[in-house]
Amino acid sequence: MPELKERPKPYLVPDYCKGCGRCVSVCVKGCIAFSDEINPVTGLVPVVLDLEKCTGCGLCIEACPEPYGLRALEQGEDFELQDPAKLFGEKPSAAPKPVEVPAKQIPLPKTEPLVIKGNYASAIGALLVGCRHVYGYPITPSTEGAELMAKLLPKLDGVFLQAVSEVATVNHMYGTGGAGLPTMTFTSSPGFSLMLEGVSYMVGAEVPGVFVNVMRGGPGLGNIAPEQADVKLACHGLGHGYSHCITLMPSTPQEMLDLTMLAFELSFKYRNPVIILADGYLGQMTGKVQLPDHMTEPGIPTWAVYGDLNHRKNLIASIQLLEQDLEKFNLYLHGKYESMQVEARAETFMADDAEILLVACNTPARAAKGAVQNLREQGIKAGLFRPVTIWPFPIEQLKAQLPRTKRIVMVEANASGQIENELRLALSKAGVTAIPPITHVRRCGGLLPQQTEVVDHVLSLAK
Amino acid sequence: MSVFYDKFERHAHGEGLKGQSTHYCAGCGHGLVHKLLSQAIEELGIQDNTVIVSPVGCSVFAYYYFDTGNTQAAHGRAAAVALGHKMANPEATVVSYQGDGDLASIGLAETVAAAQLGAPITVIFINNAIYGMTGGQMAPTTLMGQTTATSPDGRNQFNGQPIKMAELIAQLDGPVYVERVALYSPADRKKAAKAIKKAIQLQKEGRGYSFIEVLAECPTHLKMAPDKAEAWVKENMTKIFPLGVKKDTTVEPWFNRPQPCFKAETFVKAVGASSEAVQKHCKAFPSHLNPADISLKLAGSGGDGAQTAAMLIATAAINEGFDGTHIPAYGPESRGGTSYADVHVAKDEVLNPASPTPDILLAFNAPSLAKFGVTVKKGGCIIYDSSIAKDVKPMDPSITVVGVPFTEIAAGLGKMVVKNIVALGALQAATNLFPKETFMAAVKQALKDKASLIPLNEQAFQAGMDAAQAFLANKKK
Ligand code: SF4
Ligand code: SF4
Ligand code: SF4
Repeated sequence: MPELKERPKPYLVPDYCKGCGRCVSVCVKGCIAFSDEINPVTGLVPVVLDLEKCTGCGLCIEACPEPYGLRALEQGEDFELQDPAKLFGEKPSAAPKPVEVPAKQIPLPKTEPLVIKGNYASAIGALLVGCRHVYGYPITPSTEGAELMAKLLPKLDGVFLQAVSEVATVNHMYGTGGAGLPTMTFTSSPGFSLMLEGVSYMVGAEVPGVFVNVMRGGPGLGNIAPEQADVKLACHGLGHGYSHCITLMPSTPQEMLDLTMLAFELSFKYRNPVIILADGYLGQMTGKVQLPDHMTEPGIPTWAVYGDLNHRKNLIASIQLLEQDLEKFNLYLHGKYESMQVEARAETFMADDAEILLVACNTPARAAKGAVQNLREQGIKAGLFRPVTIWPFPIEQLKAQLPRTKRIVMVEANASGQIENELRLALSKAGVTAIPPITHVRRCGGLLPQQTEVVDHVLSLAK
Repeated sequence: MSVFYDKFERHAHGEGLKGQSTHYCAGCGHGLVHKLLSQAIEELGIQDNTVIVSPVGCSVFAYYYFDTGNTQAAHGRAAAVALGHKMANPEATVVSYQGDGDLASIGLAETVAAAQLGAPITVIFINNAIYGMTGGQMAPTTLMGQTTATSPDGRNQFNGQPIKMAELIAQLDGPVYVERVALYSPADRKKAAKAIKKAIQLQKEGRGYSFIEVLAECPTHLKMAPDKAEAWVKENMTKIFPLGVKKDTTVEPWFNRPQPCFKAETFVKAVGASSEAVQKHCKAFPSHLNPADISLKLAGSGGDGAQTAAMLIATAAINEGFDGTHIPAYGPESRGGTSYADVHVAKDEVLNPASPTPDILLAFNAPSLAKFGVTVKKGGCIIYDSSIAKDVKPMDPSITVVGVPFTEIAAGLGKMVVKNIVALGALQAATNLFPKETFMAAVKQALKDKASLIPLNEQAFQAGMDAAQAFLANKKK
């Protein structure tokens, strides 16, 4: 074995040489030459080294693009050793197995109810679960959420960053969510459309994050009044590929807070984004909001790419180059979506003996609730079924109502019955064949179904 | 070489030779830049704190190689993702590694925005004048006359001209350091190594955003041997993309963010919650106005304070243990023109928060009175500003109409901003929705940081009450 000089000579495992020749031209001593001998392992033609005149200048090493191509021999390395497995070995990466940094519960004093807008309530809900990183692009009627965050986060040493667009917003979230921290945004329909590519990436890379879409009228620029026309997007159109997210539909400012908190919990539980579909009315509406008795200081999950030693071995990516890998991943996702079924939630109002079941979400559910009361006063057995999750659809809860239900009346704010479509799809998938007649009260374009319209519709059915 | 994985497990599961060789073509510039980046990270001793964001393009698989935290971003969004990482952990060194299609075409907005933001991240931009991954199409940096799959006759004016990113980024105020380097000679490789290390050092020290453009060889799509590709970059690319430092400003370290705060006390204060119980003054729900749910409409023009008055009513209701809601008309219609608010006060729960047919209308001007006066329920009440709206025609005889000169009274008090408080006083006297104390408690809550204004508001409220009472007394006569 030749003695190692102070300036080490280059060393090459021919299997790792691609024969590019970038090393050849830099050697003034002419030590490196192209060859015409094909390497039987790689099918490439590695260069050959004749180091007799080599000065150990190192220029060839610097010119080689391959990490394990031309290398300097390190002290103690065996010059003669040719077996790469022995040379590089099965050495495990030095990065440790990540350990979880647990979340902490922090008790809050009892406080009087706040009187705040739905958008504010949602923002405060996010702060309560420890979200200190909010990104957003202003869009009516969701902007107050971002505005409140911009005001409050500096006081809590958090970050509000107004992004250059909704596309940037969702990718900031991808970074922060990928680092394992709770993050969210406020947006409204056109902005939500722009974010969908990123939502698909987040699903694919299993990155949590919460999207509050305060829906407005569409398509296109539409208007800024409330609509419920993004249900189809949230349930079946979250970007490309096999992507689904739990989707919550609050109906009061209090629920804007409660469901935002729940959204973060579910988002981390399943490592998947969660969508909140509110409507323009609800976002702008001021009402009574009670704070819970604790808040959360989030931890850092084991899978995060936080940028520390603990998490060094992790990767956030949605690419699965090999078909078998992607198939396996999609089947895994499918299993995950199936397991989310247990999160399906619904609320009922006077539905125990209801023969006419009104079905509504968001602000229209309030009008429907008023209609139920009114109809009861007139002796009609009406009740309300309010899906709190629209995806997954609370089909078990609905099935429990069906034996008594003579009619279903959908109350919603879009032209085509997007909530009705979810209900019908869920019934069909559940194999329910005895479906009562379904009629509807729909308004759209920024108008909401009114209580009187619902009452009149139900009364007309009775005739 | 410690920053590279000992074995590239992610490269086809590390099987066979792939465990130790890259997926790049022979002679590709990417491998060289990877080595320079790895060297810089090693020399700066930051391997454990580094996150590398790989783009879409040939370097999509950069995460096969670097034994650091890794994130793979959507096409063009690496800089935005990098910022997400930096904000999450300001201690981390975050490198956004991007090619020309990614950075200078589809991701241009994110690229420029991140640069101008100036937060310390390091962007390494590989410019090889062509699309590699998709198979040799025109890049935003393709040279004039250069033949590609989508400029088969050579790039011409109809395809636009090559974009000079380093110069563009250097023009912005955000970045602290911008340099363009190349890989075709030993001297240039040394400069490139130095530049990359400096760029990361500046981030590590919290000084700001740095951008290194590397002119790299794509022998495959230039359809040249690597040495010819090197010569091509040297002879052709450097003419359009001159090498050198484009910006280098000395900035003191500024990016030191505190850890987020999770103190209960700070949180409660920030959101304006209070543990102090509010005193109740109502004996019962004001069912004389509606048995369970009173609907109000407040309408005026922009500066009338209708929204604030609406908020005060909703707050007052909730303080009294009832439910209250307020919905403003928002958006373009709230700029100038009419500003109106729907308010509900309910015994238990507001079911219909809109007020298409209100029990009570508070009108600040004539158009509002005309527009909404006709919607008021039979037996309802209209209170309007009689300094602005004159000659009110009698509406349904069952409706009480009360005219109070809100504007005159407010002017008399020397502060037009209290016009809405005058109006609330009038509303109180005309409807007895809540006792005066209830309204004033809500006003005081709203003014808790401006306590000096409370006496004036008290005066305004009382003046509104008095004027309404006088009007009603007059009417009876
Ligand atoms: S170290 Fe220098 S002299 Fe030796 S082979 Fe490499 S380039 Fe030639
Ligand atoms: S530069 Fe590296 S890969 Fe290229 S021929 Fe030389 S040793 Fe082989
Ligand atoms: S196509 Fe070009 S840029 Fe891509 S790996 Fe091959 S040589 Fe490198």
